[in-house]
Amino acid sequence: MDTTPSSVLTADGAPAEASAAPDAERQVIEACQRGEREAFDQLVVRYQRDIYRLCYRYLNNHEDANDVTQEVFLKAWRGIGRFRGKSAFSTWLYRIGVNACLNFRAARRPVAHELPEMLADPGMGAAQRVEKAQRAAQVREAVSRLPEKQRATLILKIYHELTHREVAQVLGSTVGTVKANLFHALGNLRKLVAADEGVKP
Amino acid sequence: MSAHLSDQTMTDVLESGGSPIEWAHVASCAACRSRLEEARAGRELASKAEVPEPPGLYWEALRRNVSRRIAEEPPRRSRWAWLAPLAAVTAVVVVIAVSLVGRPPAPSESALLLPAWSALPPVEDDDGLAMVGGLADGELANWDEGRGLGAFVAGLSDEESEALVAALRVERPEGEL
Repeated sequence: MDTTPSSVLTADGAPAEASAAPDAERQVIEACQRGEREAFDQLVVRYQRDIYRLCYRYLNNHEDANDVTQEVFLKAWRGIGRFRGKSAFSTWLYRIGVNACLNFRAARRPVAHELPEMLADPGMGAAQRVEKAQRAAQVREAVSRLPEKQRATLILKIYHELTHREVAQVLGSTVGTVKANLFHALGNLRKLVAADEGVKP
Repeated sequence: MSAHLSDQTMTDVLESGGSPIEWAHVASCAACRSRLEEARAGRELASKAEVPEPPGLYWEALRRNVSRRIAEEPPRRSRWAWLAPLAAVTAVVVVIAVSLVGRPPAPSESALLLPAWSALPPVEDDDGLAMVGGLADGELANWDEGRGLGAFVAGLSDEESEALVAALRVERPEGEL
């Protein structure tokens, strides 16, 4: 599980050192705001794994995740002049990423496939173990069927280890709502997977 | 605590254990205990949903693709570029305003009078000019009884010249320019 917050990782996944310090990153961002493309390259290297994984969890396949990841960085480049540093750059980038994924899904996938806000108990059979890879794919697919806000909250909180406050900033929400959505998301995920397995949760 | 725990509180209990009071409620409330167990199971499931790692060369390819696409972007305008037209208009307005403020006021009737320090009176008030004009027109041609003006003036002594100048001066009322 990619639970290590890769905002503190370098491109190859190694722990970042001084280059990831806020001051250093601020200088890189300011260089980007002056139009220096090479500086933006550093931000791409630093955050590409985070954004790719975010997109993958939303879109559930490599091709779409790759396309949307590139779009996210293009949007970030176009909009970096408006970044004021009121939140962490990673938070700002996640927000772009979540919006890009939502837009992509809205264009590609009917909303009717989504789960209603509270999933009914299917009341079926017992749980079975599956292979690790199959289970991972199954859970990812279940995550992709969660309601938008629950899915976003779960992805950002569980897989990217953002704090409740950071998730609230990304989603334009409140900490209380984030906590409630997370609780619903976990419960619904459990129900979805159980329903897929034909078991009673 | 008799009411069921809120979803927010349940998340606190799930993540950090919550307060002793909340734990006591969960221990005694089957409904809340069931919800908590379900969320725990969901969290356990979520932890199994790894994202497949792309091939090792993928990240470099992704970086290059992003870099290439950014290079193809049209030059980014400065975030203040939208102010340029406004600044130009403002500059023109300021220049016009300054030129209007700095310009002397439009001539008025009173302003036509020469200031007190002027060595010359207004043309219409200059009796000396009127006299010279008369000479030019011949109206005063015989005032010196056949002698030329030049000869007359040339023949004056210093005292007579000063007396003539004094006589030509017109006394004005106090305060008139």
